[in-house]
Amino acid sequence: MKKRYNTRYSFIILFLTAIILIGSNGPALAHKVIIFAWVEGDTVFTESKFSGGKKAINAPVVIFDKDGTKLLEGKTDNKGEFSFKIPKVTDLKIVLNAAMGHKAEWMIPESEIREAGPIVEKKSAAEPSGPISVGFSKEEVQKIVEDSLDKKLRPIVRMMTESKNTKPSLTEIIGGIGYIFGLMGVALYFKNRSKK
Amino acid sequence: MHISEGVLSAPVLVTGAVLAAAGVSVGLKKMDYEKIPQAAVLSAAFFVASLIHVPMGPSSVHLVLNGINGLLLGWVCFPSILIALTLQAILFQFGGVTVLGVNTVTMALPGLIGYYLFGRLIKGENRLISLAAAFACGFFSVLLSGILVAGALLSTGESFTTAAKLILLAHLPVMIIEGIITLFCVAFLRKVKPELLGGVYEKAL
Repeated sequence: MKKRYNTRYSFIILFLTAIILIGSNGPALAHKVIIFAWVEGDTVFTESKFSGGKKAINAPVVIFDKDGTKLLEGKTDNKGEFSFKIPKVTDLKIVLNAAMGHKAEWMIPESEIREAGPIVEKKSAAEPSGPISVGFSKEEVQKIVEDSLDKKLRPIVRMMTESKNTKPSLTEIIGGIGYIFGLMGVALYFKNRSKK
Repeated sequence: MHISEGVLSAPVLVTGAVLAAAGVSVGLKKMDYEKIPQAAVLSAAFFVASLIHVPMGPSSVHLVLNGINGLLLGWVCFPSILIALTLQAILFQFGGVTVLGVNTVTMALPGLIGYYLFGRLIKGENRLISLAAAFACGFFSVLLSGILVAGALLSTGESFTTAAKLILLAHLPVMIIEGIITLFCVAFLRKVKPELLGGVYEKAL
């Protein structure tokens, strides 16, 4: 009887595995939403996706400063992208609300904006601007370098967005199932002990 | 269907956690020898079901399998679903640890209701009624989950009707698929192990 029971269970497992294998043939889109943002010059670009790669289209994005005051809001376009001019030099908290209880956040620290932005810092007069010879001021050189770096780094930034969106790996899936059956073992063990 | 972290307000989270704790403790009391492996199998099924996706509009929805969980486990579906959700939160970052209570209730409660509504019909003699009830159970469990999620989202200021409409519309294919899966599971169990459907039901009462 006990033996029979076990074979039945293995049937159920096989059946469910079959469903899962059939089902997971298509592009598996995981149930998590991610927003990723980076600064280029005076603009912040954001990209929103469900992990697995599906873009979050038409989802409202709200930007807060570090005190939680709403600065501005917008909607992602049909590529899941949304960009805005930096409204204020502060820590920016970008919140994506992809409906149905899905939400994601991305923080841009103030320092990142300062480094990237053309927002001119009031340099103290005492600071030596350096003997730059060829008619470029220090700031101009810095700006040119930054612009070209932004351009060159863009694909890498994009790659990082992609890699952040990896769907659950097989290890995690199998590990999770392993945990469940391990817990089953523990539960059976304790039931067994209390019976004795 | 998972509600993400930081969406809900504290009162909703606490209510969810309390309800889930109550459900889980009843479930653990009802869990006997035969139920433990069964709960584990269904918990594992629930755990992986969330990876099967149906692309739908701006979002994507996935299988839930709470109908079959509730149908076969009764109250035990609370611990079963809680464990699966915990692992999903830790390993996949679906939902989140603080929302576990709410998510458990939104998914396990409909399963339990389905069990009380359709459990009797499913173990009945008439095959057709039984299979129809199985389909209905799978279908309504997801439907009810959607309504509960919309209810939970009320506190965020998202209006109930908009949220509910969006969720239910997106989950319509899932409801149908789950109905069919539940139907096949019941048909299979009726053939090879009818005691499982009937026996479980009597015992859990």
